[in-house]
Amino acid sequence: MMRGVLVILYVVSAATFAHAQQRPDISGNWILNGGKTTFGEWHLTDAGDRRFKAYDFKKDDPSLKCIGSSWTRVWLNPNVLVKITQNPMDVRLQYEWMDIDRRIPLVDPTALRAKRSLPIPMMPALGTSVAWYDGDALVIETRDVGPGYVSTMQEWAGLPQSRMMRTIERLSLANPNLLNINITHVDPANYRDPLIVNITYPRSKFELMHYGCDPKDAQITEPSK
Amino acid sequence: MAAIRKMPRLLNRANNAAALSLLVVLLAVAAPARAHHSVPVNFDQSKEITITGKLTEAKWINPHSRFRLDVTQDDGKTVEWLVEMGAVNTMRRAGFEIDKFVVGDTLTIIGWPGRDRERTMLLRTAVLKDGTKLTP
Repeated sequence: MMRGVLVILYVVSAATFAHAQQRPDISGNWILNGGKTTFGEWHLTDAGDRRFKAYDFKKDDPSLKCIGSSWTRVWLNPNVLVKITQNPMDVRLQYEWMDIDRRIPLVDPTALRAKRSLPIPMMPALGTSVAWYDGDALVIETRDVGPGYVSTMQEWAGLPQSRMMRTIERLSLANPNLLNINITHVDPANYRDPLIVNITYPRSKFELMHYGCDPKDAQITEPSK
Repeated sequence: MAAIRKMPRLLNRANNAAALSLLVVLLAVAAPARAHHSVPVNFDQSKEITITGKLTEAKWINPHSRFRLDVTQDDGKTVEWLVEMGAVNTMRRAGFEIDKFVVGDTLTIIGWPGRDRERTMLLRTAVLKDGTKLTP
């Protein structure tokens, strides 16, 4: 009997250890400054193409109201810190940009009803998320999103996001000082096949700072007289 | 597949801005500023303009700091320019000396003009009244 208990304890300990070993150590501070960003080709549906062409950077950019329009857009902001903290039951990502504080429960991805993160206040386009470890990557799955834009930047500005979008982020280390963020957007309302985005974040020695975006100020883009 | 969208039509304000400018160049430092809305989407990085005017407002905030300057045109009319900069968090980390800007002082600003927005620009270099050049 005793031998059986010991064997079980050993097996559980070994499994736990092996599981812990698989977790990448991505805790720390990261910043998009000199990192590389690539967008795969996008294949829009007719509806998606209409939304893309209708985008007006002067009035449609949600960041003019201090709002994040998609997780890719949040990751794309340069020169602001992201602090990652890995806990036993969850992972916390604190984005300096717009003071977004993201606490995501770690779940069994095969579970039918897993506890999801709370919505980010005032940012419906960011939905709710769950996370799990898969080999050397932290995987974050997001749905329940509101309409938004995958990007409001560069030639990707206006790529749309519908309520149907499911977003999968895979965070892994290219080396101890470089974080890879691979993002897959699946949105059949706007895209004929998944849109893939890759972003790299170097590790940073800076500390997180308060952002304090005020929509009254963020909307000012023209002289008053 | 939809083609990659073209940038909005460019507005050529370089000549107009040049007429407004007083050039003061002592040192040369260059690093692109960043704003919460995309720099290439909102500003024409292929053109550089220079304006000189009186600083009427300096807001050190996120997502992007800003100046308002009263600039006197060749016709004698004074108009306001809105000058955008990067996030104050970024500028503080970079050691940008924000205390040196005093409302009421005359400044020269060198930067990129806004797209489809009159009298707007992104600051790349500021020249203080004593000739000191500052780049965020």
